[in-house]
Amino acid sequence: MKKNLIIPVMGVVVLAVCVLFYLNQTTDRNNKQEEISNLVFETPDFYDNEFIDEKAMGEFYVVNFFASWCKPCLAEHPLLMEMKKQGIKIIGVNFRDDEENFKEWIKEHGNPFEHILRDDGTIAYEMGLIGVPETYFIKNKIIQKKIQGPLFYEDIEQYL
Amino acid sequence: MISLFGNGIIYVSLILTVLFYVKLLKKLIPSEVLTLRIIYFINLLPFILLIYAFSISDFTLLNVIENSYIDDPLFYKVTSAWGSHEGSILLWVFLINLFGIFFLNKNRIVEIHKNIIFISTLFLLYVMISSNPFTYIGANEEILGLGLNPILQHFLFVIHPPTLFLGYIGLVIPFVLSAHMLIKQDFSEKLFEEMLIWSKISWFFLTAGIVLGSYWAYSELGWGGWWFWDPVENISLIPWLLNTALIHSLKVSIKSNQLKLWSLNLGLYCFIASVFGTFLVRSNLIVSVHSFATDPLRGLFLIIIIGYLLAITVRLNIKSISNFNEDSFNLFSKESFLLLNNIFFICSALVVFIGTVYPLFSEMILETSVSVGAPYYNFAFNLLLAPLILFMAFAPQISWGKHERKDKQLPYILVLSLVISLLSFYFFENFYFALSIFITGPLFIKSILVLNTNVKKNLNFYSQWLAHLSIGIFIIAAVYTEQFDYEENLLFEKNSSNEIALQNNKIAIIKNVKDENFQNYQRISVDLLISDGQQNRQLSPSKNIYQPSGQVTNEVNTTNVLLSQYYATISTIESDQVGINLVYKPFINLLWLSSIMLIFSIFLSIVKRK
Amino acid sequence: MKISSNIYKLIIIFITIHVSAISFAGVNELSDYFKTIRCLVCEGQSIQESDTEFAINLKEQIQKKYNSGMTVNEIDVELVKIYGEEISFNPQKNHYLLWGTPLIILFIIFIFIRNKIKFFKKT
Repeated sequence: MKKNLIIPVMGVVVLAVCVLFYLNQTTDRNNKQEEISNLVFETPDFYDNEFIDEKAMGEFYVVNFFASWCKPCLAEHPLLMEMKKQGIKIIGVNFRDDEENFKEWIKEHGNPFEHILRDDGTIAYEMGLIGVPETYFIKNKIIQKKIQGPLFYEDIEQYL
Repeated sequence: MISLFGNGIIYVSLILTVLFYVKLLKKLIPSEVLTLRIIYFINLLPFILLIYAFSISDFTLLNVIENSYIDDPLFYKVTSAWGSHEGSILLWVFLINLFGIFFLNKNRIVEIHKNIIFISTLFLLYVMISSNPFTYIGANEEILGLGLNPILQHFLFVIHPPTLFLGYIGLVIPFVLSAHMLIKQDFSEKLFEEMLIWSKISWFFLTAGIVLGSYWAYSELGWGGWWFWDPVENISLIPWLLNTALIHSLKVSIKSNQLKLWSLNLGLYCFIASVFGTFLVRSNLIVSVHSFATDPLRGLFLIIIIGYLLAITVRLNIKSISNFNEDSFNLFSKESFLLLNNIFFICSALVVFIGTVYPLFSEMILETSVSVGAPYYNFAFNLLLAPLILFMAFAPQISWGKHERKDKQLPYILVLSLVISLLSFYFFENFYFALSIFITGPLFIKSILVLNTNVKKNLNFYSQWLAHLSIGIFIIAAVYTEQFDYEENLLFEKNSSNEIALQNNKIAIIKNVKDENFQNYQRISVDLLISDGQQNRQLSPSKNIYQPSGQVTNEVNTTNVLLSQYYATISTIESDQVGINLVYKPFINLLWLSSIMLIFSIFLSIVKRK
Repeated sequence: MKISSNIYKLIIIFITIHVSAISFAGVNELSDYFKTIRCLVCEGQSIQESDTEFAINLKEQIQKKYNSGMTVNEIDVELVKIYGEEISFNPQKNHYLLWGTPLIILFIIFIFIRNKIKFFKKT
């Protein structure tokens, strides 16, 4: 009887060890990222080629991802212009775009941005971007609100 | 007109059914069987009418506008009839009644048919209340229709849903038979035999439907995979697993009078599982490639149907549990191995079920969204399936009642299979492949050995032998394909060479890019040659741009090298460059071949009985 | 009698090997890893199978991280941190109900077979 028990007991022990190992493979996972990525301040501005001064941006500002190939970006463009008029500072991040097309686009539709960064996708990845356009409302470095897809007036109403 | 007819027929059918149930129809039509025939026949009509409406592009119906396009070929116009939610539920009603008609020729017990009609009426009510395809919208000359989703414009899609539905709905007959047996407490062998045949028929269609769906995904979606653990695939797998268990347990019920309540319960749950599957897909609770956008009323109605069926099941169990003795049989008997088989199948169905509904549970209770995909199922499903396959090698040779003979070959077979597995590990250096060799090894060895023994070899033997063997081949092929496939992204620039060397010392040569126009789509295709110096194989993947939606689909093109396949899709196509995604899928055709063998084997055992 | 206890032992040994193999096997190749990442803008596809901008960018970024020496596991942790659990088709191991059920089921089957054998030995 005892002899018969050896194998099952060993089996259970090995199983338990494996399961424990398997469960411990992954560390604790937090919720989604809440803070703005530092990469935004480590990338030079496209026009004046200087880094963004975080202090000059103030307490509250907006980060907007856009691209010239993206049609919904055009739809929300007037709203961005309106925000600029009201004095809200916007950092524009040009996501995976052709340089010529991008310049043309800004020339044609106007520039609502305080600073423009060009991004090959790295900043987007760090910020957890799903698609363009995407807009982040940032207060004290913390992401207050995140709008995926084009902005509507209701989204920005409270800040105007 | 058609709208009026369609609604009219549904009302007539509902009225007739009610009259039949309150026994008012008896004075008019004395024969109950004839009444049943009439009701079944009338219930067939709405779907036939819908097909007619689609074939003539009757744009007075909202459903036709939404799902068909005036310039679609007739073939796709007809298939649009079940491309939408409304149409597919009507198809469901149609098929229940079709099964009813065939079943009426075999079995004349009116109570059973009353139950079938009752279930069909539930779904007909569902059609009436929440998803009526005969909604009238008024004549308008300018409407051309919105068109069937282009991914669905494929020959396989024409036969895949009806086949799968035949499988789902075939389970209604085991359901009503079980219910009948439990209500009447009549457990005659004849009824069990009948249940076995119908569950086999359903199994035939289910398997065929799943394989067709898998092949459709493989050849149409252009992702190179054949099984995605997508919720829709999962919920078709659950009834399949339960039905497989049912077929095995029914054998015990028939041959040795045991596991009867067990089999009857399985019969009940199989159908519930298939209705549940439809509910999950159609209610859009779980997002998946196949779901149609729907309103919550539909889900609610299907929940009511499922709740009702479950309530019946529980009620019948409480009623009859005292009438069954506890099953008892020898440890070393076929019965006990078939019970084990059942446990494994039911447990794997449970695992698939948990994996499928867990994201829902997590979203509602834990408030985090989770995606459960291949890594989980590969872990959970294989864990349960592997021992089952090992048993499959030895169980068929064990005798009923009590097994006396010692199996002297057993240790040798296991050792031999282990040796082959180790050798394969040495040559292929792949752990999973070696493992699958070890699991299926005994099955193959035993299959060969059994042919030389003096077991009675009738059609029944061969069908079982073939079924088990093809499962073994399937597993080997599946593991080999998944482990040894490789993918290359070829990028041809306009001004550079039109040749690219592949990993396996062959050369890919791009020929020409064509642009053609067809009836309802435009096709841009690329001709690609794969050359090893002597032999050339041509591939022409394409992108189709469909009218009127402007939707673009990637058309896969494949070329066979014996049992293996090259699988090509266009990844990018621009004026100065062409990108092609080339996948080499070794032994993928063996996988389809073994699936066909599996379907053929059950066909053998159905034919044998007639 | 002998066969039964042998089969029993063999099954246990086999399943132990099986489970340990599955537990210790990791993902090594990136293309296999891509298959476990959900494309959040698609319906049920992995980024390996998708041509959307989101999927293409994610593949590029992961490739970059991988080339810079991060292991697949580290990348996975980071991805979940950024995008949430939904991004991975491989659910977190702290979903005990999900991961535990198959093991519990297997254990119950064990017990079941064991008891059957014991019962049979007695009679």
